Amino acid sequence: MAWVTWRQHRAQLVGAVGLLVALALAALITRLPIQSAFNRDSLSACLPPAARTGCDLIVPHFENEFAGWVAAVRGLAVLPALAGLFVGAPLLARELEHETHRFAWTQGVTRRRWLLSKTSLLAAGTLLLGALASGVVMWWRGPFDTLEGRIGPSGFDIEGLVVPAYALFALALGVLCGLIFRRSVAAMTATLVAFGATRFLVLEFLRPHFLTPLHRIVAATATGSQGAGNWVLSDTLVDGGGRQITAASENLAVLHAQQARIDPHSYIVTLGWKRVISYQPAGRFWTFQLLEAGLFVALAAAVVLVAVWLVRRTPT
Amino acid sequence: MSGAPLVADGLGKRYGRDWGLRDCTLTIPDGAIVGLTGANAAGKSTLLALATGLLAPSEGSVSVLGRDPLRDPSVLADVGFVAQGAPLYRSFSVAETIEFVRRTNSGWDDEIVPDLLTRISSRAKVGSLSEGERARLALGLVLGKRPRLVLLDEPFASLDPLAGRELLQLLMDHVAETAATVVIASHVIADIERVCDHIVLLTGGGVRLESNVEVLLDSHRLLTGPRRPLGSIRGVREIVRERHSGRQLTLLVVTDGPIVDPSWTVEPVGLEDLLLAYMAPERLPTPRTSEKVPLRWHG
Repeated sequence: MAWVTWRQHRAQLVGAVGLLVALALAALITRLPIQSAFNRDSLSACLPPAARTGCDLIVPHFENEFAGWVAAVRGLAVLPALAGLFVGAPLLARELEHETHRFAWTQGVTRRRWLLSKTSLLAAGTLLLGALASGVVMWWRGPFDTLEGRIGPSGFDIEGLVVPAYALFALALGVLCGLIFRRSVAAMTATLVAFGATRFLVLEFLRPHFLTPLHRIVAATATGSQGAGNWVLSDTLVDGGGRQITAASENLAVLHAQQARIDPHSYIVTLGWKRVISYQPAGRFWTFQLLEAGLFVALAAAVVLVAVWLVRRTPT
Repeated sequence: MSGAPLVADGLGKRYGRDWGLRDCTLTIPDGAIVGLTGANAAGKSTLLALATGLLAPSEGSVSVLGRDPLRDPSVLADVGFVAQGAPLYRSFSVAETIEFVRRTNSGWDDEIVPDLLTRISSRAKVGSLSEGERARLALGLVLGKRPRLVLLDEPFASLDPLAGRELLQLLMDHVAETAATVVIASHVIADIERVCDHIVLLTGGGVRLESNVEVLLDSHRLLTGPRRPLGSIRGVREIVRERHSGRQLTLLVVTDGPIVDPSWTVEPVGLEDLLLAYMAPERLPTPRTSEKVPLRWHG
C-alpha cells in the first residue's frame, strides 16, 4: 500500500513541500528587518524582569511597526485546514466520484486495510510537514513571543505541537466527510465548516479552562495590561464583597463622582472596588500545548475509526 | 474447493423505496460460463455489486466461493471483477495500473497481462487509451489475479463488435486453462450466446430463468399453426408466449414430451428469441403464463 499511497498522493506531497518552502523563504525574508529593528532598539533590555526606562515607548513602537505582519502570520492558522481540504476530503470522495472504488476495493487488499494504510501514511506526512511549518513560525515569532508571550491565541494557535495536531484532525475530518458526502466539493465544504467549528469551540469553551485560571487583584485605578505574556481571560471590577460591577453601575458611579465634583478614580477607590484579572500564565504554554494537541490527536483518531468502521457498510 | 462460486439465497437490495434486486435465489455451478441477462434495471449490476461486497444486501444472503464477500472481504483476492465501464485511474500509466494490482493482490501472475497487452504501450496513460484498449487492460488485470471466479459487468457496452469478440476470445482462451467460473452480465444476448453454457435471466421480480443453455433449448419449441381456441396441447407443459398474426398462431412452449398433433409445425427456438419471450411478461396474453415459470433443471 505504500507504493499505492505514494503514487496517488505524490502530487499533493509536492504541493505541500512547495508551500512549506515558500513559507520558509517568506519567513526568512521578513524576519531580517524584524531582527534588525529588535537589535536597533535594544529590545532585549526591555525583557522582564529588568525593564529599562523608555521601554513603555519603545516596545509599542516596535509592535506597531510590525503589526500588519504579525496579523498576516496569525492568518496561517488556516494552514492546517488545507490538509483536510486537499488531502483528506478527496481521498474517498474522488474514488467514489470517478467510480474507481469499484476497481480499488475489489482487489486482494480489503477496504478497511486500504483506508487505514493510506490514512496512516498520509497522517505521518501531515504530522511531519505540520511540525516543520510550526517550527518556521516559531522561529519567525521569536521576538514577539519574548515581548508579548505566546499563550494568547495569536501565538498559541500557530506555534508548537498544536499545528501538526490540527492538521491531523483536519485530514481525518476530510476522510470522513468524503465518505459521507461522496463528492469532493461537498466534502471540502463540510470539512472546512466542521474544522472551523471545532477549533472555535475548543478555543472559546475548553482551552480557557484546561487549568484553573489564576486571578490577580489590583487597585481599581491601576493602568496597563497587568502581566505581559499572560493570556488575559477577563478583566473586571468587583466591589468589596467580590460581586462584579456592571458597566451601568460603573458609569453611574463615575457620573455620581462628577456631580459631586470628586475625582472619579479616588471615588471608586473609596467604594472599595478592585480590578480582578483572570488569566492563564505564560508558563503554562507547553502544558496547554500538550493538552490541546492531545485532544485534537484523540479526536482525529476517533474520526478515522468512525470512517474505517463506516467504509465497510457504506452502500456504494 | 470451498463451496459453489456464487450462491444467492433470497437476496434483495433496496434503494430507498425501490428494489434494485429482489428475491434472487440461484446457484452458479463450478466452472460454468454464465450469461447474466435481463432488461435494463433488472438488477444485473446490483447482483454483481452484492457479490463483490460493494453493496450490502437489504435481505437474504450471498456467498462467493463459500464466503460472505462483506464479512470476509479477503475472498476478493480470488475474484476478478470488472465493473461497468471498466473504471481505472485515468492519470495512471498502463505500467502503474499493473503495478497497482500487483501490489494489492498476493496471487498476482506477471505472465498473463503482457499477453493481452501486446499492442498497448506500457507508458501510455490510461486516460488516453481507447475504450477497447481499456477494456483489454481491465480484463488483463483481472486474469492476472488468477481468479477462481470472474465477474464482468457489461464488458461490451462501449466496444465495437470486433473488439468485443476479441475480448471474449481472450477471456475464453484463458478460462479454458484455469477452469475458472465466469459470469458475464449483458443485456445484449447475442454477445453472451456465443460463449455461455449457462443462463441466468433476471427480471424485476427475481430470477426468471436459471438453466443450462442446452437443456433450455431442448425443452422449448416454437409451434406454428392455424388460429384456434387454445386448450391443452399434448406434449406441452407450459405456454410461454402466444402471438397472433392474421390467421396464424405462433406459440413458444415448454415441452414435456413429443408433440404429436400434425396441425402444428414444430421448430426449435433460438436462445435470443427464447430469452426475449421470458423478458417481456407484459406481452403475455393469458394470466396463466404471466406467473413465474419454475424452471430449474440443473442440480
